[in-house]
Amino acid sequence: MAAALIRGAGLERYYQEREVLAPRSRYLEAGWNTVPTETDSSGIAETRLMVDGLRCASCVWVTEHVLQSTPGVAEATISYATGRCILRWDPEQVDLAELAGRIATLGYRPRLLGEETTVDRDLLLRLGVAAFAAVNIMMMSAALYLGWWSSMDPRFVVLFQWTSLILATPVALWCAAPFFSGAVSGLRNGVLHMDLPIALGVAVLYGQGIVATINREHAYVDSLAMLVALLLAGRMLESRGRRRAAEAAVSLAASVPATARRSTGEGVETVPADQLRPGDLIDVGTGEEVAADGVVVTGSGRVRMAHITGEAEPVEIHPDQEIVAGSVLLDGAMTIRVSAVGGDTVLHQMAEQLRMAADRGSRPTSADRIAPWFTAGTLVVAAVTFVAWALHTGLGAAVPRAVAVLVVACPCALALSRPLAAAAGLGASARRGLLFRSADALLDLVDVNIVALDKTGTVTQGALTVLEAEDEALRVAAGLERYSNHPIAAAIVDEAGNRGIPLPRGSHITEEPGVGISGVVDGRSWRLRPGGPGQVLLLDDAGRERIIALGDVVRSDSARTIAALRQGGLQVALLTGDHQDIADRIGQETGVRTVVARIDPVGKALWIRARRERGHRVLFAGDGINDGPGLAEADVGVAMGSGAASSVLIADGVISSGSLAPIPVALHAAHECRRAIRLNQARSIGYNILAVGAAAAGYVNPLVAAVLMPLSSAMVMWGASRVEVNVRELSL
Amino acid sequence: MNAVLFLLPIAVFLGAVFLVLFVVAARSGQFDDLDDPPERILKD
Repeated sequence: MAAALIRGAGLERYYQEREVLAPRSRYLEAGWNTVPTETDSSGIAETRLMVDGLRCASCVWVTEHVLQSTPGVAEATISYATGRCILRWDPEQVDLAELAGRIATLGYRPRLLGEETTVDRDLLLRLGVAAFAAVNIMMMSAALYLGWWSSMDPRFVVLFQWTSLILATPVALWCAAPFFSGAVSGLRNGVLHMDLPIALGVAVLYGQGIVATINREHAYVDSLAMLVALLLAGRMLESRGRRRAAEAAVSLAASVPATARRSTGEGVETVPADQLRPGDLIDVGTGEEVAADGVVVTGSGRVRMAHITGEAEPVEIHPDQEIVAGSVLLDGAMTIRVSAVGGDTVLHQMAEQLRMAADRGSRPTSADRIAPWFTAGTLVVAAVTFVAWALHTGLGAAVPRAVAVLVVACPCALALSRPLAAAAGLGASARRGLLFRSADALLDLVDVNIVALDKTGTVTQGALTVLEAEDEALRVAAGLERYSNHPIAAAIVDEAGNRGIPLPRGSHITEEPGVGISGVVDGRSWRLRPGGPGQVLLLDDAGRERIIALGDVVRSDSARTIAALRQGGLQVALLTGDHQDIADRIGQETGVRTVVARIDPVGKALWIRARRERGHRVLFAGDGINDGPGLAEADVGVAMGSGAASSVLIADGVISSGSLAPIPVALHAAHECRRAIRLNQARSIGYNILAVGAAAAGYVNPLVAAVLMPLSSAMVMWGASRVEVNVRELSL
Repeated sequence: MNAVLFLLPIAVFLGAVFLVLFVVAARSGQFDDLDDPPERILKD
């Protein structure tokens, strides 16, 4: 029957044309076969693409399946979260344009990395057209419903119905096209896709609309336009949310400056960083970021490389030593001979590698298990209704009733339940400081029962803080250090500010990198120089010493957060490469009983794997490059946004505030989100049982349908909106 | 009531004008990024 309706609606031409419009030649012309690829020793070429238009885990599955069954393809992996596709193929047997054509035939859009994306724009345009049609059709439908009770001039009924049908035509044929392509590609590969009941619903509604309008009966085109508009809105929300999270993660990662100062024979010129060439000499001053990898020619200074190593502690760099792009020169000045720029820099290559690792690591979950049953159920009920009424009263009553079943069994509510609740959950979590890459990552939180935390930079601040100092010593030291941008200076000045000490103004200040700082405060001369580990010494003109102790301190809310996690029944563990006694002290301070010290990065990953193998689900939060293996191994990896770029790229979620507090809140959000999804699914199934029952019995007339269908969608939207409300209540 | 016969096409036409404006705006990328541009002035 659906096939007949599709034919009736003139859709078969659409499918034929789509086949013809997406062949290999289009990608051949676009120069896809000249895309640079890496070929390994066995002649297998490898490249990465983006695939736009993936809507669910089964889209990923279908596309991977089709690519892998193409002769000559060695590997095809697609990440649902990022839409990134890794392809390995034998160029002797198949070319890239052919593979791209295959992806396009399935209804998805392959795109070269770096090419601008328009998928959101495409969805937005379809949504705009559908919303325009829906609103106008609704206006006329309201008049028709009112006229249905009183008596309306038949001329107007005809006018309204035909105008509605004309407005609904682009909605059914163009706006709903993504659902049709999803359904067809699913069917072709033997999968009952979530898009199938939607496409079926749209086709039935549109076919019924044409037939009813011609026969001057009631058409359901208002429901059709509303259904498509709402579904597109839900899809739009999900795709924006996903993209925003990915962008946020990337923008939190360290950046390379856009310009550099290049020494020429005569002087110095400022050039865009991408114009640098290996062999160029660039100048870097205090406080500047390095634009390219290189070797120090002259000068020295302290450099922070937190973006690469995750260690906040600066390192001393001297001539002939290497320096990497994105490092910050904290003091001193140097001239660097450029060795690698742009895509060849360590930072860029590391980011690429880790992105690849993250792509391979994603695991699609079956988001739409119910859809096939739903579709099958609806079809069976419609068939039974048709047969029963045909035997009972004849074909005249059987056709409209079977159509009514297909119409009211609107999968709208069911299809919306997950994207709406997921968007609400992701939003609730993101507003409180934890951004997740995908709804799957958020929902994985529900099953977590072990929370493993890295120490430096995660439980602790990962930056120097004054631990102990007399007020007077601090005041004088701050007077000297206020003009410096050294990390110790920042710690001292911050602490003076925290204690409310007014900063004196030092004079005659001279700073020597590595030696210390000296100057005059309140008429006396002072010197500040490094003492033992974690100490600086303040010396007055009489040679008397005062000690200022510095160190890494526990974040102010770590203990509270850990207590909240433990209260929630979670086991909390501290994993660190640091010494046992320091780890124990931090553990005691924060109330963590399970403390694992002197463990290397791989050890952290092994510890997590051991727990996972025993059936636990582990969340790991870390910030450094050394946390990468742990973040990849854990069920849910959470990176600190202030940490190394590598950890941000590999993690499932990123904390944008400098605190662990978003973790328990995100756990609430995940529980609420899953609850909302289940409730919404139960509600929409309940609605469908009632509505389909009524329709099969012949009780559904146009007015009932017009009330029930938006009501079911509103119910699901209300359910999703509860996520934010409940999270707000819980986190108060 | 005959007014409806010409008001309805006018109403739909007016709606369509705004739809076209929306399509033009969306095509030119007006809706691609709704969050960053207002904040851009605060950076650097």
